[in-house]
Amino acid sequence: MRAQPIHQISRKGLTVWRLYGVIQTLVLLVVAGLVSYGTYYFEWPTFIYFIAGAIVFLSAILSVFIFPKIRWERWRYEVREHEIEVQHGLFVVKRTLIPMVRVQHVDTTQGPILKKYDLGNISISTAATVHTIPALVMDEADVLRARISDLARVAEDDV
Amino acid sequence: MSKEINRLHPVSAIITSVKALKSMILPIVIIIISNGFNFSLNFRSEHFFETILLFGVWGVASLLALVGGIIKWRTFVYWFEDGELRVTYGLFVKKKRYIPFERIQSLNYNEGVFHRIFGLVKVQVETAGSKGGKPEVELTAIRKAAADVIELEMRHAKNEAVQQQVQAQVEEEAVATPMIYHMSMRDLLVLATTSGGIGVVLSGLAAVASQFSDIIPYETVFHELADFVKIGAFLVALTVMVVLIVAWIVSVVITLINYYDYTVRIEEEKLIITKGLLEKKRITLPLNRIQAIRIVENPLRQLTGFATVVVESAGGNGENGNDKKITLFPLIKKLDCMQTLEQLFPDMNWHPTLIRSPKRARPFFYRIDFFWLVPIIGASCYFFYPYGLLSLLLIPLTILLGIWQHKTAGYQIDGKQLAMQYRVFSRITLIMEKKRIQSIESTQSYFQKRKNVMSVKATVMSGATGTTGSVSSLEQKDAEKILTWYEH
Repeated sequence: MRAQPIHQISRKGLTVWRLYGVIQTLVLLVVAGLVSYGTYYFEWPTFIYFIAGAIVFLSAILSVFIFPKIRWERWRYEVREHEIEVQHGLFVVKRTLIPMVRVQHVDTTQGPILKKYDLGNISISTAATVHTIPALVMDEADVLRARISDLARVAEDDV
Repeated sequence: MSKEINRLHPVSAIITSVKALKSMILPIVIIIISNGFNFSLNFRSEHFFETILLFGVWGVASLLALVGGIIKWRTFVYWFEDGELRVTYGLFVKKKRYIPFERIQSLNYNEGVFHRIFGLVKVQVETAGSKGGKPEVELTAIRKAAADVIELEMRHAKNEAVQQQVQAQVEEEAVATPMIYHMSMRDLLVLATTSGGIGVVLSGLAAVASQFSDIIPYETVFHELADFVKIGAFLVALTVMVVLIVAWIVSVVITLINYYDYTVRIEEEKLIITKGLLEKKRITLPLNRIQAIRIVENPLRQLTGFATVVVESAGGNGENGNDKKITLFPLIKKLDCMQTLEQLFPDMNWHPTLIRSPKRARPFFYRIDFFWLVPIIGASCYFFYPYGLLSLLLIPLTILLGIWQHKTAGYQIDGKQLAMQYRVFSRITLIMEKKRIQSIESTQSYFQKRKNVMSVKATVMSGATGTTGSVSSLEQKDAEKILTWYEH
């Protein structure tokens, strides 16, 4: 059994994900509202109310409470001297290894919600793939970005 | 270094405009057909205005295309200076592009029908940065001698050729370089027969037929068809045969046009592929740009012992422009294939002994399919009652396919190389060097975890998105072995 990567993402990340879930549920709520209005206005069958309601309810439960928790607990990363390892997933656990020599550039991005919580995403690009570590504390993300780019500078083989 | 300024051949003006016109033909045809051929030059007719508008727009567009072609030809200049290929073009906006010769990955030659009449060639200059499928520089049409000059200048700059030899080399080149692979007529026929081409042609025919549904009186045809069926199954079988044969012939012709005289040579660590009947193509591929090699055997070919070899290349574009997967051997006997590849890449192991997926992992290859299978079967049984039951046959088929996939899934680690074998329908063997792999990912679902199996994916660079090979449900410790191997 390989050991899990050691670092977890910030606890605030969980809050942000829950917030995303709330937003998603609100959007669904609006859609469900429109559909219900349509059902009322055009006299579509009544079961549509129940379906719309059930979808909103499920979304609220899953995307606000259950999924963020599982994802947060599963999310792990580790930046070692020669490689970066990340682990994530909801139902399926994915573990990715990216060697330092393959890293081409590192980005940090921050949207309005992440900014409010002082968090940032960090994206690691190779010649063919992009890997994102979400919701890191901004200072930590900056340090990590600097560290990865330092370590990656010792590249030798070309693509 | 000559500072002589070179121009394109005048024919390039025609070629450029014809190319622009060609892209306009389809919309025009669609408009004409959708209009139902209601055209009239009689100005009293209600269609007069439409006709004038259509032909007017078309006329103006073709005029523009022609002028554009001439402008491009008049303004396009290239020359060699300071070890660079320098190109400028453009009328209002002047564009200049300087490419150092060392940066040039390959020169690809392309001879269309027009080119061949005048003894010209289209040259595409490619560098590692030619992303999105566009070559850095495209010389639409120059004389073959001029193309040779470019190649000479390039070698000159790269110090790969001694000066005196240069002259002799040009003449000898075609003879001197060892040929690695050549497709015989028989190979072409087999390729045409076993490729999916026939299916494509058939569906193409169907698409054309459905497009003309307004014109062809299907109902009458159906009535006649009903009579026809009464005449006997024999005739029906005959018709089917004829359709199949026609499809086969079309497929052979297409294959012939594309792959005629398909030859692979090796020269100075570069693979040179030439092919084509009407349009001759020459693709150059530096060996050190090759990221991985994929051996594809579709079921029909696997049965007959043939395979297709595709190389994943980081730079240079393939035959279809934006895709960087270049077919190296369109069709080759599996045994010869391994020998030839061994000759090309002696450092790699071409006879991998694969470690297979464990037996307890077998259900994972078909179980997931029932998620979509069950609703489909349920629906079709319900809605198309008697015949819908036939969809139940999908269950054993899916399971068989799953078992087949399970049998194919395997990997091998040998020193610096990773080989993966898997199939959807065609068996794919992907062989790559460790230093070419961009990232490796393992995935494990809850159910896989319970059975202690794990899937592995490896991505190499190829084009913009890369190519991913994936083997499902290996023994967990095997999967972890791949990860650990990749780490160190």
